[in-house]
Amino acid sequence: MRNPWAQTGNYRTDYRQDTAIFATYLEMLSLWAFLAVLLALPLFLSRPQMFVLDLILVYALAVLGLNITTGYAGLINIGQAAFVGVGAYTAALLAPSLPFWLTVPIGGLAAAVAGGIVGIPSLRIKHLYLAIATLAFQIIFEWTVGHSTILKQGGAIPLPRVEFWDYRVGYKNHYYFWYYVILLVVVVLAFAFRNLLRTRFGRALVAVRDNDRAADAMGMHPGLTKIFAFALGGFYAGVAGALYAYLSRAVVIEDYMLPVSIKFLAMAIVGGLGSLVGSFLGPAFLVLLDLNMEDLANWLKSLGLSYAGVDIASAMRPLTFGLVIVLFLIFEPRGLANGWRLVRNFFRNWPFKY
Amino acid sequence: MSYFLQLLVSGLVVGSIYALAALGFVLIYKASRVINFAHGQFIAVGAFAVYALAVYLQLNVWLSFGIALFFTALIAYIVEKLFLKPLVGQPIISVIMVTIGLASLLDGLIHLTPFGGGNFSLPRFLPEGGVSFFGVSVSYPQLLAVLLTALFLAGFGWFFQRSTLGAAMRAVADDQMAAMSLGVSVEHVFALAWAAAGITAAAAGFIVGTVSGINLESLVAIGLKVFPAVILGGLDSIPGAVVGGIIVGVLENLATGYLDPLVPGGGTAEVFPFVILLLVLWFKPHGLFGTEEIERV
Repeated sequence: MRNPWAQTGNYRTDYRQDTAIFATYLEMLSLWAFLAVLLALPLFLSRPQMFVLDLILVYALAVLGLNITTGYAGLINIGQAAFVGVGAYTAALLAPSLPFWLTVPIGGLAAAVAGGIVGIPSLRIKHLYLAIATLAFQIIFEWTVGHSTILKQGGAIPLPRVEFWDYRVGYKNHYYFWYYVILLVVVVLAFAFRNLLRTRFGRALVAVRDNDRAADAMGMHPGLTKIFAFALGGFYAGVAGALYAYLSRAVVIEDYMLPVSIKFLAMAIVGGLGSLVGSFLGPAFLVLLDLNMEDLANWLKSLGLSYAGVDIASAMRPLTFGLVIVLFLIFEPRGLANGWRLVRNFFRNWPFKY
Repeated sequence: MSYFLQLLVSGLVVGSIYALAALGFVLIYKASRVINFAHGQFIAVGAFAVYALAVYLQLNVWLSFGIALFFTALIAYIVEKLFLKPLVGQPIISVIMVTIGLASLLDGLIHLTPFGGGNFSLPRFLPEGGVSFFGVSVSYPQLLAVLLTALFLAGFGWFFQRSTLGAAMRAVADDQMAAMSLGVSVEHVFALAWAAAGITAAAAGFIVGTVSGINLESLVAIGLKVFPAVILGGLDSIPGAVVGGIIVGVLENLATGYLDPLVPGGGTAEVFPFVILLLVLWFKPHGLFGTEEIERV
């Protein structure tokens, strides 16, 4: 008989059971428990810790978007930071006149439009060329922002503090308030991400990635599917950007430049391309690494390892990002999500061995 | 008119740098279908190697150039053996990601040397002044840049047409399976393509050093400008890389000359090549000389 708490065998008899998200009640329960922990977490964390948590969740959103374009659809995107930037600048320009629950989705839509435009060449060309198109978009974005007076030429554009009904968000509760907003958005968008593969649009993405000629023959339009992938990935990035703008209360071009795009790619790879859990593990891993890197650089400095003309701190960041990308690709291309998969499979059958 | 000619000449100089850089890029792409995002870092390695040898060790500039060529080729060779060989047969995404990671890694390593920030200029080894043709003055470093590029292109042309190794590399680029079955070591050719790319990168870096100062950011930026050049010329065409590089260099200089006054803040040269890139991708995706891929199921 089927045991609803442990997966003791394959009892799937129809298609619906095969696409079910939760194999056992235990998994559903652990997800609810995890969400409860996330909701309660702010009670135990200090203000700086909250900021780190917020940061991880915002990055996770951008990486979710990247996992749609690069993970599901197989299109390398070296311009994710620019899409995040489109969302952030849209939110910054609209913030004085509109409430935040409008500017955030509008920021996402603006980035989605940008994604669609960048994806236009995919009507004619294949993935290698598309990677270069995203790079061009990244550079054109940086230049345009740097030369627009309305965007302060890349300098800081401040965002006002927000008011929600009668609740004023000030210095003390800023990170706590945004934590819940971001958490809500993350849960909704992660849910959408997980369910994307159960819709025909999501399946079309994977089909086009695996063999676009076969997908074409099956009646999908590879070009439009790729544009859709770019637009959807852009939407996630734009929402992340708008939230990041509110979170940091200022928009500066440095947060949306090429090295940041590479950071997002590193996060996606470390987490595991195309994996929902990986989209959270990757950013968490790299953000925590980033924080410890400053300590590491200071420690190296205190050892007297730094010499004149060399700034170890500025060397550590690209060095570790590069190393992490390369090592993960060579030794664990499936990323941290693979470790998670092993753990999960263990508990699926627990207490049985198999 | 003379303003136009002056822009054209300095564009040719910049274009010849791009042409050399693009040549190395296309060599790697043709041999192994790898898009190398770390090319700018190789250019930087070459340029700083020349500088370190010529300034710190007080070697003759030409001698240090020769050593730097060898050194950069060696680094590119090792990089291929260490990082790209384990990924042969993996999906193309992983391979491209590795070069992105590599770019970041090399960036960090360069930051560990004194060359991470600031400007450096090679010791002056050419006479002051220059020559002038038809009212356009060309300085000796600029002249050297164009001549050196021509020399390298001729050298590589000879290498690919006449030498056994060059023929083997062309064979691999044409059909890996056929080349393998005829006894060509594909592994060896991949590594050699990277070494050759390292040589052209070092040459490009040296030329940048003679024409202007070197700093990490601008050298890495050249690695990015390679993309408009190769897309314009066609990703898999060596003559295309050269022509594309020169066209991009000239257009960039014309943009500086004619568009900068119209744009507040100027600096159109940084972005103009990428606008061209997008236009080419939209309207003529395989570039001027690239082979159009015809797919059959």
